Amino acid sequence: MGRNRSPSLIADRAASLAKWLFLLFFLIITLFPLIWLVISSFKTNLEFQTKPFSIPELWQFANYINAVSISGLHLLFLHTIVVSFASTALNILAASMAAFVISREPFRGHETVFNIVVAGILVPVIALMVPYFRLISGLGLYDTLFGLIITYAAVSIPVSVFLIHGFMRSIPRELEEAAVIDGCSLAQRFTRVIFPLSRLGLVTAGTFVFLFSWNEFIYALLLTSSVKARTLQLGIRFFKSQFITDYTSMYAAIVLSIIPTIFVYILFHDKIIKGMTSGAVKG
Amino acid sequence: MSASRTNWKGIMLFLLPVALLYCAFFLYPLVFVFVTGCTSWNGIRAMSFTGLSNYIKLFGNGTFRLSLRNNFIWAFALAFIQVPLATITAMVLARKPRGWRFLRTVYFLPNVISQVAIAMMWMALYNAEYGILNHFLSAIGLESWTHNWLGEIGTALPAVIAQQVLYIGYFMIIILAGILSIPDSLYEAAEMDGAGVLRQELYVTLPMIRGLLVTSMTLAVAYGLRHFEATYLMTNGGPANSTSVLGLLLYKKMGALDYGQANAIGSVLVLTGGLLIIFIRRIFGRVESASETVQ
Repeated sequence: MGRNRSPSLIADRAASLAKWLFLLFFLIITLFPLIWLVISSFKTNLEFQTKPFSIPELWQFANYINAVSISGLHLLFLHTIVVSFASTALNILAASMAAFVISREPFRGHETVFNIVVAGILVPVIALMVPYFRLISGLGLYDTLFGLIITYAAVSIPVSVFLIHGFMRSIPRELEEAAVIDGCSLAQRFTRVIFPLSRLGLVTAGTFVFLFSWNEFIYALLLTSSVKARTLQLGIRFFKSQFITDYTSMYAAIVLSIIPTIFVYILFHDKIIKGMTSGAVKG
Repeated sequence: MSASRTNWKGIMLFLLPVALLYCAFFLYPLVFVFVTGCTSWNGIRAMSFTGLSNYIKLFGNGTFRLSLRNNFIWAFALAFIQVPLATITAMVLARKPRGWRFLRTVYFLPNVISQVAIAMMWMALYNAEYGILNHFLSAIGLESWTHNWLGEIGTALPAVIAQQVLYIGYFMIIILAGILSIPDSLYEAAEMDGAGVLRQELYVTLPMIRGLLVTSMTLAVAYGLRHFEATYLMTNGGPANSTSVLGLLLYKKMGALDYGQANAIGSVLVLTGGLLIIFIRRIFGRVESASETVQ
Protein backbone atom coordinates (compact mmCIF):
# COMPACT_ATOMS: atom_id res chain seq x y z
CA MET A 1 0.00 0.00 0.00
CA GLY A 2 2.12 2.93 -1.13
CA ARG A 3 -0.13 5.41 0.68
CA ASN A 4 2.16 6.53 3.43
CA ARG A 5 4.90 8.78 2.10
CA SER A 6 5.43 12.44 2.84
CA PRO A 7 8.12 14.84 1.57
CA SER A 8 9.30 16.63 4.70
CA LEU A 9 10.51 14.75 7.76
CA ILE A 10 9.43 17.36 10.34
CA ALA A 11 5.97 17.72 8.88
CA ASP A 12 5.83 13.94 8.80
CA ARG A 13 6.70 13.70 12.50
CA ALA A 14 4.17 16.36 13.47
CA ALA A 15 1.43 14.74 11.44
CA SER A 16 2.25 11.38 12.92
CA LEU A 17 2.11 12.77 16.46
CA ALA A 18 -1.23 14.49 15.78
CA LYS A 19 -2.57 11.26 14.33
CA TRP A 20 -1.62 9.20 17.38
CA LEU A 21 -2.96 11.80 19.81
CA PHE A 22 -6.24 11.76 17.89
CA LEU A 23 -6.47 7.97 17.99
CA LEU A 24 -5.46 7.93 21.66
CA PHE A 25 -8.18 10.44 22.55
CA PHE A 26 -10.92 8.18 21.20
CA LEU A 27 -9.32 5.13 22.76
CA ILE A 28 -9.44 6.86 26.16
CA ILE A 29 -13.02 8.10 25.63
CA THR A 30 -14.08 4.58 24.72
CA LEU A 31 -12.21 2.53 27.28
CA PHE A 32 -11.61 4.78 30.27
CA PRO A 33 -15.25 5.02 31.51
CA LEU A 34 -15.60 1.25 31.19
CA ILE A 35 -12.37 0.48 33.02
CA TRP A 36 -13.25 3.05 35.65
CA LEU A 37 -16.66 1.40 36.10
CA VAL A 38 -15.09 -2.03 36.55
CA ILE A 39 -12.47 -0.75 39.02
CA SER A 40 -15.11 1.20 40.96
CA SER A 41 -17.21 -1.92 41.27
CA PHE A 42 -14.43 -3.44 43.42
CA LYS A 43 -14.11 -0.49 45.82
CA THR A 44 -15.75 0.32 49.11
CA ASN A 45 -18.24 3.17 48.85
CA LEU A 46 -15.97 5.44 50.93
CA GLU A 47 -13.03 4.72 48.67
CA PHE A 48 -15.15 5.34 45.60
CA GLN A 49 -16.18 8.78 46.79
CA THR A 50 -12.88 9.97 48.23
CA LYS A 51 -10.31 8.39 45.91
CA PRO A 52 -11.92 8.15 42.49
CA PHE A 53 -8.63 7.59 40.63
CA SER A 54 -7.09 4.97 42.85
CA ILE A 55 -6.86 1.20 42.51
CA PRO A 56 -8.91 -0.44 45.29
CA GLU A 57 -6.86 -1.15 48.43
CA LEU A 58 -8.78 -4.35 48.93
CA TRP A 59 -10.74 -5.76 46.01
CA GLN A 60 -14.34 -5.98 47.22
CA PHE A 61 -15.76 -9.08 45.59
CA ALA A 62 -18.56 -8.78 48.15
CA ASN A 63 -20.03 -6.02 45.93
CA TYR A 64 -20.84 -8.64 43.35
CA ILE A 65 -22.51 -10.89 45.91
CA ASN A 66 -24.49 -7.87 47.17
CA ALA A 67 -25.48 -7.00 43.62
CA VAL A 68 -27.06 -10.38 43.05
CA SER A 69 -28.75 -10.64 46.45
CA ILE A 70 -30.11 -7.07 46.62
CA SER A 71 -31.47 -6.78 43.10
CA GLY A 72 -32.50 -10.36 42.37
CA LEU A 73 -30.11 -10.12 39.44
CA HIS A 74 -30.33 -13.83 38.65
CA LEU A 75 -34.04 -13.49 37.81
CA LEU A 76 -33.42 -10.44 35.63
CA PHE A 77 -30.72 -12.41 33.84
CA LEU A 78 -33.03 -15.35 33.32
CA HIS A 79 -35.77 -13.11 31.86
CA THR A 80 -33.34 -11.34 29.57
CA ILE A 81 -31.83 -14.60 28.34
CA VAL A 82 -35.29 -16.02 27.58
CA VAL A 83 -36.45 -12.85 25.82
CA SER A 84 -33.26 -12.41 23.79
CA PHE A 85 -33.00 -16.00 22.59
CA ALA A 86 -36.72 -16.41 21.87
CA SER A 87 -37.11 -13.12 20.01
CA THR A 88 -33.98 -13.85 17.98
CA ALA A 89 -35.23 -17.33 17.05
CA LEU A 90 -38.70 -16.07 16.12
CA ASN A 91 -37.28 -13.18 14.15
CA ILE A 92 -34.74 -15.26 12.23
CA LEU A 93 -37.28 -17.95 11.39
CA ALA A 94 -39.84 -15.47 10.03
CA ALA A 95 -37.28 -13.25 8.30
CA SER A 96 -35.42 -16.13 6.64
CA MET A 97 -38.67 -17.60 5.27
CA ALA A 98 -39.61 -14.26 3.74
CA ALA A 99 -36.08 -13.55 2.52
CA PHE A 100 -35.98 -17.00 0.92
CA VAL A 101 -39.00 -16.55 -1.34
CA ILE A 102 -38.15 -12.92 -2.08
CA SER A 103 -34.58 -13.75 -3.14
CA ARG A 104 -34.87 -17.25 -4.63
CA GLU A 105 -38.42 -17.46 -5.98
CA PRO A 106 -38.71 -14.12 -7.76
CA PHE A 107 -42.48 -13.85 -8.02
CA ARG A 108 -44.10 -10.80 -9.56
CA GLY A 109 -43.88 -7.92 -7.08
CA HIS A 110 -41.04 -9.40 -5.04
CA GLU A 111 -39.10 -6.16 -5.26
CA THR A 112 -42.04 -4.16 -3.94
CA VAL A 113 -42.47 -6.53 -1.01
CA PHE A 114 -38.76 -6.28 -0.25
CA ASN A 115 -38.75 -2.47 -0.45
CA ILE A 116 -41.79 -2.11 1.79
CA VAL A 117 -40.35 -4.40 4.46
CA VAL A 118 -36.90 -2.79 4.37
CA ALA A 119 -38.39 0.72 4.48
CA GLY A 120 -39.34 -0.23 8.04
CA ILE A 121 -35.69 0.47 8.98
CA LEU A 122 -36.46 4.18 8.63
CA VAL A 123 -39.61 4.13 10.79
CA PRO A 124 -38.88 5.67 14.19
CA VAL A 125 -40.53 2.94 16.26
CA ILE A 126 -40.27 5.16 19.34
CA ALA A 127 -43.16 7.16 17.80
CA LEU A 128 -45.34 4.04 17.98
CA MET A 129 -45.46 3.70 21.78
CA VAL A 130 -49.22 4.09 22.10
CA PRO A 131 -50.19 1.55 19.40
CA TYR A 132 -47.65 -0.98 20.71
CA PHE A 133 -49.02 -0.57 24.21
CA ARG A 134 -52.60 -1.01 22.95
CA LEU A 135 -51.67 -3.96 20.78
CA ILE A 136 -49.78 -5.87 23.47
CA SER A 137 -52.44 -5.09 26.09
CA GLY A 138 -55.18 -6.08 23.64
CA LEU A 139 -53.50 -9.44 23.08
CA GLY A 140 -53.41 -9.96 26.84
CA LEU A 141 -49.60 -9.87 26.77
CA TYR A 142 -48.99 -6.81 28.94
CA ASP A 143 -46.35 -7.49 31.60
CA THR A 144 -45.40 -10.85 30.11
CA LEU A 145 -42.13 -12.03 28.62
CA PHE A 146 -43.97 -13.15 25.50
CA GLY A 147 -45.19 -9.60 24.90
CA LEU A 148 -41.56 -8.44 24.81
CA ILE A 149 -40.48 -11.39 22.68
CA ILE A 150 -43.00 -10.72 19.94
CA THR A 151 -42.32 -6.97 20.00
CA TYR A 152 -38.55 -7.34 19.72
CA ALA A 153 -38.90 -10.00 17.01
CA ALA A 154 -41.24 -7.77 14.99
CA VAL A 155 -39.31 -4.51 15.38
CA SER A 156 -36.13 -6.19 14.10
CA ILE A 157 -37.82 -7.71 11.03
CA PRO A 158 -36.76 -5.01 8.50
CA VAL A 159 -33.06 -5.15 9.32
CA SER A 160 -32.86 -8.96 9.41
CA VAL A 161 -34.84 -9.42 6.18
CA PHE A 162 -32.41 -6.97 4.60
CA LEU A 163 -29.31 -8.79 5.84
CA ILE A 164 -30.55 -12.33 5.15
CA HIS A 165 -31.89 -11.38 1.71
CA GLY A 166 -28.51 -9.97 0.72
CA PHE A 167 -26.81 -13.14 1.83
CA MET A 168 -29.26 -15.59 0.23
CA ARG A 169 -29.15 -13.79 -3.10
CA SER A 170 -25.42 -14.48 -3.32
CA ILE A 171 -25.80 -18.27 -3.02
CA PRO A 172 -25.07 -19.81 -6.46
CA ARG A 173 -28.06 -21.28 -8.30
CA GLU A 174 -26.23 -24.53 -9.09
CA LEU A 175 -26.34 -25.58 -5.45
CA GLU A 176 -30.11 -25.55 -5.60
CA GLU A 177 -30.54 -27.14 -9.01
CA ALA A 178 -29.81 -30.71 -7.94
CA ALA A 179 -32.53 -30.41 -5.32
CA VAL A 180 -35.00 -29.14 -7.92
CA ILE A 181 -34.20 -32.01 -10.26
CA ASP A 182 -34.77 -34.42 -7.37
CA GLY A 183 -38.24 -32.92 -7.14
CA CYS A 184 -37.83 -30.96 -3.90
CA SER A 185 -40.77 -28.78 -2.97
CA LEU A 186 -40.39 -25.12 -2.03
CA ALA A 187 -40.36 -26.03 1.66
CA GLN A 188 -37.77 -28.78 1.15
CA ARG A 189 -35.52 -26.44 -0.82
CA PHE A 190 -35.72 -24.00 2.08
CA THR A 191 -35.11 -26.46 4.92
CA ARG A 192 -32.56 -28.70 3.18
CA VAL A 193 -30.61 -26.37 0.94
CA ILE A 194 -30.97 -22.64 1.46
CA PHE A 195 -31.42 -22.47 5.23
CA PRO A 196 -28.27 -24.53 5.98
CA LEU A 197 -26.29 -22.70 3.30
CA SER A 198 -27.30 -19.34 4.77
CA ARG A 199 -25.93 -20.13 8.20
CA LEU A 200 -23.36 -17.32 8.07
CA GLY A 201 -25.94 -14.72 7.08
CA LEU A 202 -28.34 -15.98 9.72
CA VAL A 203 -25.67 -15.70 12.41
CA THR A 204 -24.95 -12.10 11.37
CA ALA A 205 -28.61 -11.12 11.49
CA GLY A 206 -29.13 -13.15 14.66
CA THR A 207 -26.28 -11.35 16.41
CA PHE A 208 -27.90 -8.02 15.58
CA VAL A 209 -31.30 -9.08 16.86
CA PHE A 210 -29.81 -10.67 19.96
CA LEU A 211 -27.81 -7.58 20.93
CA PHE A 212 -30.81 -5.36 20.22
CA SER A 213 -33.07 -7.52 22.38
CA TRP A 214 -30.56 -7.78 25.19
CA ASN A 215 -30.06 -4.01 25.30
CA GLU A 216 -33.60 -2.80 24.55
CA PHE A 217 -35.03 -0.50 27.16
CA ILE A 218 -37.93 1.65 25.94
CA TYR A 219 -40.42 -1.11 25.18
CA ALA A 220 -39.44 -3.06 28.29
CA LEU A 221 -40.28 0.10 30.22
CA LEU A 222 -43.57 0.52 28.42
CA LEU A 223 -44.86 -3.03 28.20
CA THR A 224 -44.04 -4.40 31.65
CA SER A 225 -44.85 -3.23 35.15
CA SER A 226 -43.76 -5.89 37.63
CA VAL A 227 -40.77 -8.05 38.46
CA LYS A 228 -42.35 -11.01 36.74
CA ALA A 229 -41.37 -9.73 33.29
CA ARG A 230 -38.60 -7.31 34.27
CA THR A 231 -35.46 -7.43 32.13
CA LEU A 232 -31.87 -6.50 33.00
CA GLN A 233 -32.01 -3.09 31.37
CA LEU A 234 -35.13 -2.18 33.28
CA GLY A 235 -33.64 -3.68 36.42
CA ILE A 236 -30.61 -1.39 36.15
CA ARG A 237 -32.93 1.58 36.25
CA PHE A 238 -34.44 0.31 39.49
CA PHE A 239 -31.01 -0.42 40.93
CA LYS A 240 -30.67 3.25 41.77
CA SER A 241 -33.56 3.16 44.20
CA GLN A 242 -32.68 -0.29 45.51
CA PHE A 243 -29.06 0.46 46.27
CA ILE A 244 -29.67 4.02 47.53
CA THR A 245 -26.11 4.72 48.74
CA ASP A 246 -24.40 1.46 47.81
CA TYR A 247 -23.00 2.77 44.53
CA THR A 248 -20.26 0.26 44.15
CA SER A 249 -22.61 -2.74 44.37
CA MET A 250 -24.74 -1.02 41.73
CA TYR A 251 -21.70 -0.77 39.47
CA ALA A 252 -21.04 -4.45 40.08
CA ALA A 253 -24.57 -5.18 38.86
CA ILE A 254 -24.04 -3.01 35.77
CA VAL A 255 -20.73 -4.73 35.02
CA LEU A 256 -22.45 -8.12 35.21
CA SER A 257 -25.20 -6.90 32.86
CA ILE A 258 -22.76 -5.86 30.13
CA ILE A 259 -20.43 -8.90 30.28
CA PRO A 260 -22.65 -11.07 28.02
CA THR A 261 -22.85 -8.44 25.26
CA ILE A 262 -19.10 -7.91 25.35
CA PHE A 263 -18.68 -11.68 25.15
CA VAL A 264 -21.01 -11.88 22.12
CA TYR A 265 -19.11 -8.99 20.55
CA ILE A 266 -15.73 -10.65 20.99
CA LEU A 267 -17.10 -13.86 19.46
CA PHE A 268 -18.92 -12.29 16.52
CA HIS A 269 -17.31 -8.91 15.89
CA ASP A 270 -16.25 -9.75 12.35
CA LYS A 271 -19.83 -10.74 11.50
CA ILE A 272 -21.22 -7.58 13.11
CA ILE A 273 -18.80 -5.48 11.10
CA LYS A 274 -19.64 -7.36 7.91
CA GLY A 275 -23.38 -7.00 8.51
CA MET A 276 -23.13 -3.27 9.20
CA THR A 277 -21.04 -2.76 6.13
CA SER A 278 -23.38 -4.58 3.77
CA GLY A 279 -26.27 -2.61 5.28
CA ALA A 280 -24.65 0.75 4.75
CA VAL A 281 -23.34 0.25 1.25
CA LYS A 282 -26.87 -0.29 -0.02
CA GLY A 283 -28.27 2.57 2.13
CA MET B 1 -38.12 -21.86 -10.22
CA SER B 2 -39.90 -22.29 -13.52
CA ALA B 3 -41.10 -18.95 -14.77
CA SER B 4 -44.35 -20.32 -16.15
CA ARG B 5 -45.90 -21.64 -12.94
CA THR B 6 -45.53 -19.43 -9.93
CA ASN B 7 -46.19 -21.29 -6.71
CA TRP B 8 -48.33 -18.54 -5.17
CA LYS B 9 -49.67 -20.70 -2.37
CA GLY B 10 -46.18 -21.62 -1.22
CA ILE B 11 -44.93 -18.06 -1.53
CA MET B 12 -47.82 -16.67 0.49
CA LEU B 13 -47.22 -19.26 3.19
CA PHE B 14 -43.56 -18.31 3.45
CA LEU B 15 -44.38 -14.60 3.58
CA LEU B 16 -47.14 -15.02 6.14
CA PRO B 17 -45.14 -14.70 9.40
CA VAL B 18 -43.36 -11.52 8.28
CA ALA B 19 -46.59 -10.15 6.81
CA LEU B 20 -48.42 -10.63 10.10
CA LEU B 21 -45.64 -9.11 12.21
CA TYR B 22 -45.08 -6.25 9.77
CA CYS B 23 -48.75 -5.32 9.53
CA ALA B 24 -49.20 -5.51 13.31
CA PHE B 25 -46.05 -3.61 14.26
CA PHE B 26 -45.46 -1.21 11.35
CA LEU B 27 -48.39 -0.59 9.00
CA TYR B 28 -51.27 -0.59 11.46
CA PRO B 29 -49.39 1.42 14.14
CA LEU B 30 -48.37 4.09 11.61
CA VAL B 31 -51.96 4.55 10.43
CA PHE B 32 -53.15 4.44 14.04
CA VAL B 33 -50.73 7.17 15.11
CA PHE B 34 -51.71 9.52 12.30
CA VAL B 35 -55.46 8.97 12.75
CA THR B 36 -55.56 9.20 16.54
CA GLY B 37 -53.19 12.17 16.44
CA CYS B 38 -56.25 14.06 15.19
CA THR B 39 -58.45 13.06 18.11
CA SER B 40 -58.99 13.87 21.74
CA TRP B 41 -58.67 10.52 23.50
CA ASN B 42 -57.60 9.12 26.85
CA GLY B 43 -57.67 5.44 25.92
CA ILE B 44 -60.87 4.80 27.87
CA ARG B 45 -63.63 7.09 26.63
CA ALA B 46 -64.53 7.03 22.96
CA MET B 47 -62.23 9.22 20.90
CA SER B 48 -63.56 12.39 19.37
CA PHE B 49 -62.20 13.80 16.14
CA THR B 50 -60.60 17.21 16.67
CA GLY B 51 -58.76 17.75 13.40
CA LEU B 52 -55.48 19.57 13.73
CA SER B 53 -56.15 21.04 17.17
CA ASN B 54 -53.62 18.71 18.82
CA TYR B 55 -50.93 20.07 16.54
CA ILE B 56 -51.97 23.67 17.13
CA LYS B 57 -51.87 23.05 20.88
CA LEU B 58 -48.47 21.37 20.62
CA PHE B 59 -46.82 24.14 18.66
CA GLY B 60 -48.18 26.65 21.19
CA ASN B 61 -46.57 24.62 23.98
CA GLY B 62 -43.12 25.80 25.10
CA THR B 63 -41.94 22.34 26.19
CA PHE B 64 -42.86 20.87 22.81
CA ARG B 65 -40.99 23.57 20.92
CA LEU B 66 -37.99 23.12 23.22
CA SER B 67 -38.10 19.34 22.70
CA LEU B 68 -38.30 19.72 18.94
CA ARG B 69 -35.39 22.17 19.04
CA ASN B 70 -33.38 19.74 21.18
CA ASN B 71 -34.06 16.92 18.73
CA PHE B 72 -32.70 19.12 15.96
CA ILE B 73 -29.63 19.88 18.07
CA TRP B 74 -29.17 16.14 18.62
CA ALA B 75 -29.51 15.42 14.92
CA PHE B 76 -27.14 18.27 14.07
CA ALA B 77 -24.52 17.16 16.61
CA LEU B 78 -24.61 13.57 15.38
CA ALA B 79 -24.57 14.48 11.68
CA PHE B 80 -22.08 17.35 11.78
CA ILE B 81 -19.82 16.47 14.73
CA GLN B 82 -20.00 12.71 15.20
CA VAL B 83 -19.99 11.77 11.50
CA PRO B 84 -17.03 14.08 10.62
CA LEU B 85 -15.02 12.80 13.61
CA ALA B 86 -15.84 9.25 12.55
CA THR B 87 -14.77 10.08 8.99
CA ILE B 88 -11.40 11.46 10.09
CA THR B 89 -10.83 8.44 12.31
CA ALA B 90 -11.74 6.10 9.46
CA MET B 91 -9.33 7.94 7.12
CA VAL B 92 -6.52 7.54 9.63
CA LEU B 93 -7.28 3.86 10.27
CA ALA B 94 -7.60 3.15 6.54
CA ARG B 95 -3.90 3.89 6.19
CA LYS B 96 -3.42 0.91 8.49
CA PRO B 97 -1.26 2.32 11.27
CA ARG B 98 0.01 -0.22 13.77
CA GLY B 99 -2.88 -1.72 15.74
CA TRP B 100 -5.64 -0.44 13.44
CA ARG B 101 -7.68 -3.63 13.69
CA PHE B 102 -7.53 -3.45 17.47
CA LEU B 103 -8.56 0.21 17.46
CA ARG B 104 -11.43 -0.53 15.07
CA THR B 105 -12.73 -3.26 17.38
CA VAL B 106 -12.38 -1.17 20.53
CA TYR B 107 -13.93 2.01 19.06
CA PHE B 108 -17.05 0.06 18.18
CA LEU B 109 -17.30 -1.58 21.61
CA PRO B 110 -19.64 1.03 23.22
CA ASN B 111 -22.19 0.28 20.50
CA VAL B 112 -22.81 -3.21 21.83
CA ILE B 113 -23.28 -2.02 25.42
CA SER B 114 -26.78 -0.99 26.45
CA GLN B 115 -27.70 2.69 26.51
CA VAL B 116 -28.85 2.17 30.08
CA ALA B 117 -25.47 0.93 31.31
CA ILE B 118 -23.70 3.74 29.44
CA ALA B 119 -26.07 6.35 30.84
CA MET B 120 -25.56 5.10 34.41
CA MET B 121 -21.81 5.12 33.87
CA TRP B 122 -21.74 8.69 32.62
CA MET B 123 -24.07 9.86 35.38
CA ALA B 124 -21.37 8.72 37.79
CA LEU B 125 -18.66 10.47 35.75
CA TYR B 126 -20.67 13.71 35.61
CA ASN B 127 -21.75 13.64 39.27
CA ALA B 128 -21.11 16.96 40.98
CA GLU B 129 -19.68 15.57 44.24
CA TYR B 130 -17.91 12.31 43.53
CA GLY B 131 -17.83 12.42 39.73
CA ILE B 132 -14.46 11.92 38.16
CA LEU B 133 -14.82 14.80 35.70
CA ASN B 134 -14.92 17.38 38.48
CA HIS B 135 -12.17 15.58 40.41
CA PHE B 136 -10.02 15.67 37.32
CA LEU B 137 -10.63 19.37 36.66
CA SER B 138 -9.77 20.21 40.29
CA ALA B 139 -6.66 18.06 40.16
CA ILE B 140 -5.25 20.01 37.20
CA GLY B 141 -6.12 23.36 38.81
CA LEU B 142 -9.26 24.14 36.85
CA GLU B 143 -11.59 24.19 39.85
CA SER B 144 -13.51 27.10 38.37
CA TRP B 145 -14.49 24.83 35.47
CA THR B 146 -16.29 22.31 37.66
CA HIS B 147 -20.04 22.08 37.25
CA ASN B 148 -23.05 20.12 38.36
CA TRP B 149 -22.97 18.93 34.78
CA LEU B 150 -26.40 17.34 34.53
CA GLY B 151 -28.07 19.72 36.97
CA GLU B 152 -27.34 23.11 35.43
CA ILE B 153 -29.36 24.49 32.53
CA GLY B 154 -26.25 25.63 30.68
CA THR B 155 -24.39 22.31 30.79
CA ALA B 156 -27.05 19.57 30.91
CA LEU B 157 -27.87 19.32 27.19
CA PRO B 158 -24.23 19.46 26.00
CA ALA B 159 -23.30 16.89 28.67
CA VAL B 160 -25.98 14.40 27.61
CA ILE B 161 -25.15 14.88 23.93
CA ALA B 162 -21.37 14.68 24.42
CA GLN B 163 -21.44 11.18 25.88
CA GLN B 164 -23.10 9.98 22.67
CA VAL B 165 -21.29 12.09 20.09
CA LEU B 166 -17.85 11.01 21.24
CA TYR B 167 -18.66 7.33 20.67
CA ILE B 168 -17.76 7.41 17.00
CA GLY B 169 -17.46 3.65 16.42
CA TYR B 170 -20.70 3.05 14.57
CA PHE B 171 -20.14 5.47 11.69
CA MET B 172 -16.39 4.85 11.77
CA ILE B 173 -17.03 1.16 10.88
CA ILE B 174 -19.32 2.04 7.97
CA ILE B 175 -17.02 4.69 6.52
CA LEU B 176 -13.84 2.68 7.08
CA ALA B 177 -15.27 -0.20 5.05
CA GLY B 178 -16.06 2.25 2.26
CA ILE B 179 -12.56 3.72 2.23
CA LEU B 180 -10.91 0.28 2.26
CA SER B 181 -12.87 -0.65 -0.86
CA ILE B 182 -11.40 2.26 -2.87
CA PRO B 183 -8.86 0.86 -5.36
CA ASP B 184 -5.23 1.56 -4.42
CA SER B 185 -4.49 2.64 -7.98
CA LEU B 186 -6.41 5.89 -7.41
CA TYR B 187 -4.09 6.81 -4.53
CA GLU B 188 -1.02 5.77 -6.50
CA ALA B 189 -2.08 7.98 -9.39
CA ALA B 190 -2.69 10.91 -7.03
CA GLU B 191 0.72 10.41 -5.48
CA MET B 192 2.38 10.38 -8.90
CA ASP B 193 0.70 13.71 -9.55
CA GLY B 194 2.38 14.99 -6.38
CA ALA B 195 -0.61 14.95 -4.05
CA GLY B 196 0.28 14.66 -0.35
CA VAL B 197 -1.71 12.68 2.18
CA LEU B 198 -4.09 15.55 2.91
CA ARG B 199 -4.80 16.20 -0.75
CA GLN B 200 -5.33 12.49 -1.37
CA GLU B 201 -7.95 12.41 1.38
CA LEU B 202 -9.65 15.55 0.06
CA TYR B 203 -9.64 14.72 -3.64
CA VAL B 204 -9.71 10.92 -3.69
CA THR B 205 -11.25 9.60 -0.48
CA LEU B 206 -13.99 12.19 0.11
CA PRO B 207 -15.54 12.08 -3.37
CA MET B 208 -15.39 8.27 -3.37
CA ILE B 209 -17.25 7.91 -0.07
CA ARG B 210 -19.83 10.64 -0.63
CA GLY B 211 -22.65 8.10 -0.85
CA LEU B 212 -21.63 6.55 2.46
CA LEU B 213 -21.44 9.96 4.10
CA VAL B 214 -25.00 10.70 2.96
CA THR B 215 -26.10 7.35 4.37
CA SER B 216 -24.30 8.04 7.64
CA MET B 217 -25.78 11.49 7.99
CA THR B 218 -29.24 10.16 7.18
CA LEU B 219 -28.86 7.57 9.91
CA ALA B 220 -27.46 10.21 12.28
CA VAL B 221 -30.51 12.42 11.74
CA ALA B 222 -32.79 9.45 12.30
CA TYR B 223 -31.03 8.62 15.57
CA GLY B 224 -31.12 12.26 16.65
CA LEU B 225 -34.89 12.30 16.28
CA ARG B 226 -35.41 8.96 18.01
CA HIS B 227 -33.21 9.76 20.95
CA PHE B 228 -34.79 8.76 24.26
CA GLU B 229 -32.83 6.57 26.68
CA ALA B 230 -29.93 8.73 27.83
CA THR B 231 -32.16 11.75 28.40
CA TYR B 232 -34.83 9.74 30.19
CA LEU B 233 -32.26 8.20 32.52
CA MET B 234 -29.79 11.03 33.02
CA THR B 235 -32.03 14.09 33.36
CA ASN B 236 -35.61 13.05 32.63
CA GLY B 237 -35.80 16.21 30.55
CA GLY B 238 -34.65 18.56 33.31
CA PRO B 239 -33.48 20.96 34.55
CA ALA B 240 -36.48 23.10 33.59
CA ASN B 241 -37.15 20.95 30.47
CA SER B 242 -33.85 22.14 29.01
CA THR B 243 -32.91 18.63 27.83
CA SER B 244 -36.38 17.36 26.89
CA VAL B 245 -36.81 15.56 23.56
CA LEU B 246 -39.92 14.51 21.60
CA GLY B 247 -39.68 10.83 22.54
CA LEU B 248 -39.63 11.74 26.21
CA LEU B 249 -42.51 14.17 25.85
CA LEU B 250 -44.50 11.49 24.01
CA TYR B 251 -43.80 9.08 26.87
CA LYS B 252 -44.93 11.63 29.44
CA LYS B 253 -48.13 12.51 27.53
CA MET B 254 -48.87 8.82 27.27
CA GLY B 255 -48.33 8.41 31.00
CA ALA B 256 -50.82 11.25 31.54
CA LEU B 257 -53.30 9.31 29.33
CA ASP B 258 -53.33 12.11 26.77
CA TYR B 259 -53.17 9.65 23.87
CA GLY B 260 -54.32 12.21 21.29
CA GLN B 261 -51.41 14.54 22.02
CA ALA B 262 -49.00 11.63 22.42
CA ASN B 263 -49.82 10.34 18.95
CA ALA B 264 -49.69 13.82 17.46
CA ILE B 265 -46.09 13.95 18.75
CA GLY B 266 -45.56 10.51 17.22
CA SER B 267 -46.80 11.80 13.85
CA VAL B 268 -44.47 14.79 14.10
CA LEU B 269 -41.57 12.39 14.73
CA VAL B 270 -42.43 10.22 11.73
CA LEU B 271 -43.02 13.19 9.41
CA THR B 272 -39.99 15.21 10.52
CA GLY B 273 -37.80 12.15 10.11
CA GLY B 274 -39.09 11.51 6.61
CA LEU B 275 -38.78 15.14 5.54
CA LEU B 276 -35.26 15.58 6.92
CA ILE B 277 -34.09 12.41 5.21
CA ILE B 278 -35.51 13.59 1.86
CA PHE B 279 -33.94 17.02 2.49
CA ILE B 280 -30.47 15.57 3.14
CA ARG B 281 -30.68 13.32 0.08
CA ARG B 282 -31.71 16.27 -2.08
CA ILE B 283 -28.90 18.55 -0.91
CA PHE B 284 -26.26 15.90 -1.40
CA GLY B 285 -27.85 14.72 -4.61
CA ARG B 286 -27.51 18.25 -5.98
CA VAL B 287 -23.87 18.47 -4.89
CA GLU B 288 -23.28 15.22 -6.70
CA SER B 289 -24.81 16.30 -9.98
CA ALA B 290 -23.01 19.65 -9.77
CA SER B 291 -19.64 17.95 -9.43
CA GLU B 292 -20.52 15.76 -12.37
CA THR B 293 -21.14 18.78 -14.59
CA VAL B 294 -17.80 20.27 -13.54
CA GLN B 295 -16.05 17.15 -14.70
